[in-house]
Amino acid sequence: MIALILFLPVVLSLTGLLAKNKLVNRSNLFVTSAAYVLVVVLKIFSLNFLILPDWLLIYFSFDSIGIFFLSIMTIVFVAVSIYSIFYFKEHHLNAERESVYVAELLFFLAAMSGVILSTHLALLWVFVEATTLTSALLIYFEKRKSSLEAAWKYVYICSIGIALAFVGIIILSIGSRDLNSLFFTDLYNNAKKINPFWLKISFAFLFVGLGTKVGVAPIHAWLPDAHSEAPSPASAMLSGTLLNSALLGLIRVHEIFIKAGEQHFSNFFFLVTGFLSLFVSSVFIVRTKNYKRMLAYSSIENMGILFIGISLGKYGIFAAMLHTLSHSFAKATLFLTSGNILYLFKSKKFDDVKGLINVDSKTGWLWVISALAIMGMPPFPIFISKFFITVALWKAGLSWLAILFFLFLVIISFGMFSSVYNMTFGDKADNKTESAPTWNAYVPQVALLLILLLIGINMPDFVSNLINNAANFLK
Amino acid sequence: MNDILIILLGTSILYVFSVSRLEAYVKTLALQGILLFLLVIMDIKEINWLNITFLIFETLILKGIIIPYFLLTVIRRNEISREIDPYISQFYSILIGSIIFIFGFLAAFWASRLDAGIKPLYFGISIVMIIASLFLIINRKRIITHILCYMILENGIFLLSLSVANEMPMLVNLGVLLDLFVGIFLFAIFFNKIQEMYDGNKIDVLTELKD
Repeated sequence: MIALILFLPVVLSLTGLLAKNKLVNRSNLFVTSAAYVLVVVLKIFSLNFLILPDWLLIYFSFDSIGIFFLSIMTIVFVAVSIYSIFYFKEHHLNAERESVYVAELLFFLAAMSGVILSTHLALLWVFVEATTLTSALLIYFEKRKSSLEAAWKYVYICSIGIALAFVGIIILSIGSRDLNSLFFTDLYNNAKKINPFWLKISFAFLFVGLGTKVGVAPIHAWLPDAHSEAPSPASAMLSGTLLNSALLGLIRVHEIFIKAGEQHFSNFFFLVTGFLSLFVSSVFIVRTKNYKRMLAYSSIENMGILFIGISLGKYGIFAAMLHTLSHSFAKATLFLTSGNILYLFKSKKFDDVKGLINVDSKTGWLWVISALAIMGMPPFPIFISKFFITVALWKAGLSWLAILFFLFLVIISFGMFSSVYNMTFGDKADNKTESAPTWNAYVPQVALLLILLLIGINMPDFVSNLINNAANFLK
Repeated sequence: MNDILIILLGTSILYVFSVSRLEAYVKTLALQGILLFLLVIMDIKEINWLNITFLIFETLILKGIIIPYFLLTVIRRNEISREIDPYISQFYSILIGSIIFIFGFLAAFWASRLDAGIKPLYFGISIVMIIASLFLIINRKRIITHILCYMILENGIFLLSLSVANEMPMLVNLGVLLDLFVGIFLFAIFFNKIQEMYDGNKIDVLTELKD
């Protein structure tokens, strides 16, 4: 099954590049989606059907938290593949460009699966760097001047960050010299034997490196540019899955600290950068004039919330896992819908978009409802996770921080919703495109919102088990 | 002998601080690749042909020949020869470089007392290479210089991993190498595109995206 997840996208993207055929491209997207869904469903109900060669099995495995992140990624990817068909039509891509797009998307997907499944710290690093390289071309896909700038900043800043993370890995291997292994299981089982001094120094590097990919302040410089310049479906992938997979790397490193009994040290880093991210995004979300950038700042905010949750122990971690899932779906919905808006108005500026609901009521409602979902209106599950994190902050004796947290959330929600409101209601501006988007441009978002509603109102048992198991990984 | 090689590597960093011709940077990179190759070869204790071939490929062929040659063609094709005025002048750069060296040696002294397995000279120079390359990236304006300094950073990290002498699995080594290669290739592609789309190739031209 691991082979299916890792190699199928690579093989299919190569065939797609060779064939340069529209049908092949679409079937590639479909086959990959189907394979991922199949694997995730089988894994959630713990069935195995393929046996791998041993040498590969050492390096990749499904664990409780991996399967959780993989399920999120699968659902977002399915939504993105359906939406991509609309993107092809919208931009009148020829077969060759289409196959380039599909190949880049599938390579990107395979790299992220590698991050999620790796059992070796340095191998995880290899795949994190691979996600940077594969997604950089996706960001530059539309070949504008601004997207070139975004892609360059992205690939360069992230490569430097990831290089520093490798310094962290080498330093960690000094601390665990007796162990002479960087497999996570070895590191966890012998965490107490690792020299705490080297462990802490290595964390500083790993935190900066992987944190750059997660996009938390103050190392978020690439994120608004890249998210706003990528094609909308690719933005959805970046925000909904890439940030998560880098976060998973950090969670796995954090686990070493918990096992070594040094979690106070790493918790402090998570808490401080979490609040810093909230601060930065609350400033910029009010200031920005571009709605895709607004969504990108909202991603920084939500990564900050996740970091705060992770630093708070048991309740916080459960809330953080729930938040990861809900943020991915809600943010993917928003980015995909922003693609519709871009199609209708041909501009990313707030000022050019007015009266969305009169131009295309379906897009308008999707935009408002998904904005409500990301802000955490009940019954959407982000309400639950934000509420839990506030409670966890309070319980940890950090009541001032809880109030501050709440204040930041209010500012961000105000900034975001006032912009969304101004775009959606009121007199309509000149829309540049007459025809409404096709069904592909609505169905994925509606499905994601329905999943979110289901989780928020009545969470199915297998979902709560999945989240609980993932949260139990960190203890 | 090893110590002489390491000292040469350190000197090459000081040289980069003091020059502004881009071809000199590339030649330094090639020199660093060859020095790393000699260091690796001298460290070999047992004959494992797979490992040796891999190391030769990584250091001599890739870091010493292919990447410098590739970057040289990129530079010649775009007809840029010199770095333009850096933010901090050459004189102060060398001063800062010396301070980085002092810090590197202190770090090496300190680290080797904490852990007996570390080779102090390797460790110190690798720290110097990493910090110096980051400083150069901040200080220089041309995008191509940023790519060259990224390579120096990678060489520093390679030296750091030699100072620790813990072996990674082959799969990981291959992955790291592939990432490095594809990364440099991609950097060069983007650099060429920036060269085509913008008038200059200074980092100052990239100012379209901001809030």
